[in-house]
Amino acid sequence: MKKKKIFTSICKNGLLLLYSLFALFPLFWMILISFKSDAQMFNTTFIFSPTLENYDAVLLRTNYFRYFKDSVIVSVCAVAVSVLAGVPAAYALARYNFKKKEDLAFQILSFKFAPEILVVLPLFMIYQKAGLYDTYTGLIWVYQLITMPLLIWVIRGYFEDISVEIEHAAQVDGYSWWQVFLKRLLPLIKPGLVSASLLAFIFAWNNFTFPLQLSGTKVETITVASLKYIASDTVHYGQMAVAAAVSALPAVIFALLIQKHLVRGLSFGAVKG
Amino acid sequence: MAKIELTGVTKRFGKMTALNDINLEIRNNEFFVLFGPAGAGKTTLLNSIAGIQLPEQGVIKFDGEIINKIDPAHRNVAVVFENYALYPNLTVYKNIASPLRSPLYKKDRETIDKEVKRVAAMLRIEKLLDRLPSQLSNGQRQRVAIGRALVRSPRVFLMDEPLAHLDAKLRHYMRSELKEMQSSFNSTCIYVTHDFMEAMSLGDRIAIINQGRIVQIGTREEVYYMPCNEFVAALVGEPEINFVEGRLVKQDEECFVQIMNLDLISVPQGHELENRLCSGEITELHLGFRPQNLKYCFEEKKGCLHGTVYSFESIGNKAVLIAKAGDTLLRMIAPNDLKVKLDQDVFIELPIEKAIFFDARTTDYIGIFDEEAVRRLSQEPQCREVI
Repeated sequence: MKKKKIFTSICKNGLLLLYSLFALFPLFWMILISFKSDAQMFNTTFIFSPTLENYDAVLLRTNYFRYFKDSVIVSVCAVAVSVLAGVPAAYALARYNFKKKEDLAFQILSFKFAPEILVVLPLFMIYQKAGLYDTYTGLIWVYQLITMPLLIWVIRGYFEDISVEIEHAAQVDGYSWWQVFLKRLLPLIKPGLVSASLLAFIFAWNNFTFPLQLSGTKVETITVASLKYIASDTVHYGQMAVAAAVSALPAVIFALLIQKHLVRGLSFGAVKG
Repeated sequence: MAKIELTGVTKRFGKMTALNDINLEIRNNEFFVLFGPAGAGKTTLLNSIAGIQLPEQGVIKFDGEIINKIDPAHRNVAVVFENYALYPNLTVYKNIASPLRSPLYKKDRETIDKEVKRVAAMLRIEKLLDRLPSQLSNGQRQRVAIGRALVRSPRVFLMDEPLAHLDAKLRHYMRSELKEMQSSFNSTCIYVTHDFMEAMSLGDRIAIINQGRIVQIGTREEVYYMPCNEFVAALVGEPEINFVEGRLVKQDEECFVQIMNLDLISVPQGHELENRLCSGEITELHLGFRPQNLKYCFEEKKGCLHGTVYSFESIGNKAVLIAKAGDTLLRMIAPNDLKVKLDQDVFIELPIEKAIFFDARTTDYIGIFDEEAVRRLSQEPQCREVI
């Protein structure tokens, strides 16, 4: 009996170890080559003389932090707009009955179905005409396609889990509708809101197609800017690795901070019985 | 403290009419019970008074003031919801304190603490104050929900089946506690229930609702002894009332009642009941007999209905004996230790002076022998009205 237990435990941990190697090795490799000079890039594997040359080149000698700032502005604003518009939308979809409600909800979700490359060409034409090309507003707007559907669907589930009597009770207790929403409902949807916002932020942060096509030189996100390290004469893998590693930091930090909420927020409802 | 009037209140959900032309007047400081089967519209009526649902037609008044367009917060009502509606993220203490912390009914910290403790002691939940609702049993949750309502002194308490999920003993205790509390609080209380024991024991007056309409409003005695139709008669009372078919026979200017195939019984002359029975068009009757009024014996007796024992079921301190006579099942109360065999012959005495007469065609109430006695009973002044 005890032997069997140990055996299954070894099996489980072995498989998990295997998976974590599989998942983490590319990241490890990326960090590794960010310390390699171009000369050692292809003729060494694990043993090489580490250098900070690439970091110096990327972080100090290029506009890296401008790109970083653009990415932050666009992603954070996109998520903020999604929260401000998406939470009321989710509330309406959960609470009110109106014609074609389910169709509308599905329509919102379906924004995520189409490959971005499919819509980006017409959007490019429209943006050129409308003066949205290469602006923060334009990118924030188009990012709603990525961030909004996820947020609305997660939050809607949360609102549906909260029984409507809780709102009624709060009204009877003497709270106005806004106070009910802020003081009674918001704490209940918080886990969902936090985790959905974080996921939305990561999706927005990682997006490549939209900024590639819909922005030019004034607004450049880090995903697009990373391409610059492919020079005409050579590809600076080390510098690209630095750019990628640093740009992954915000998502990693946020995810670690709210790790507790993340899994629970997406898998459990608002009201646990 | 409020007198509540409803005139012509109608509420529809799509094509379904949940409330149909409700007219009610609930007196100041009255304990008013809304009683009816599931889906009758009791909760909808309560929600309309609370302002949670808005009726399409009709007027709702508190103390003569029309409040149709006032939102729930400003109506100053306290509601106990059937599914508790506790705030899952707040502790029991904060749940109960919630009304006193709202901007509208704000109290200072000491008052809140004192009131919450008082209510918690009354509901026997002092030890649970730091817990979250998810750590409570259903009965405890329900008591917290009651506590949240009792902590305030609103114009009217609205309670939607507040005792439904408590265990029997606690329900008994809470029932008397609620009654006691209501009389000391001096406030109007509207109480929804589908349990006839609660309705009878708590209500100063009882309104019986069926399919969105008020069927009868009366004191517990009126509802029990003079139900306005067979529906009410069947709803009130446990075990259920027995209905027996009867006919009116007129011979030589005289009026007789025949119950099933038994002998003719003459209707007492000059009685109010005789007027109602014999002057009209009525020929077919239904007679309602409460189970405790039927007598049984096992030897043949004149004037008794012959039947067989259909079932015998002990319910603790007494038993219910069901006899089958023709196609009719008759429920009777019997002592617990009665020895009977199934399908045994039984003879049932139907005392006509205890019968409730219904018109078989419309199922409406016709009369009973002694209406005066019931009236006297229901008008007996209750202590607290004297005060």
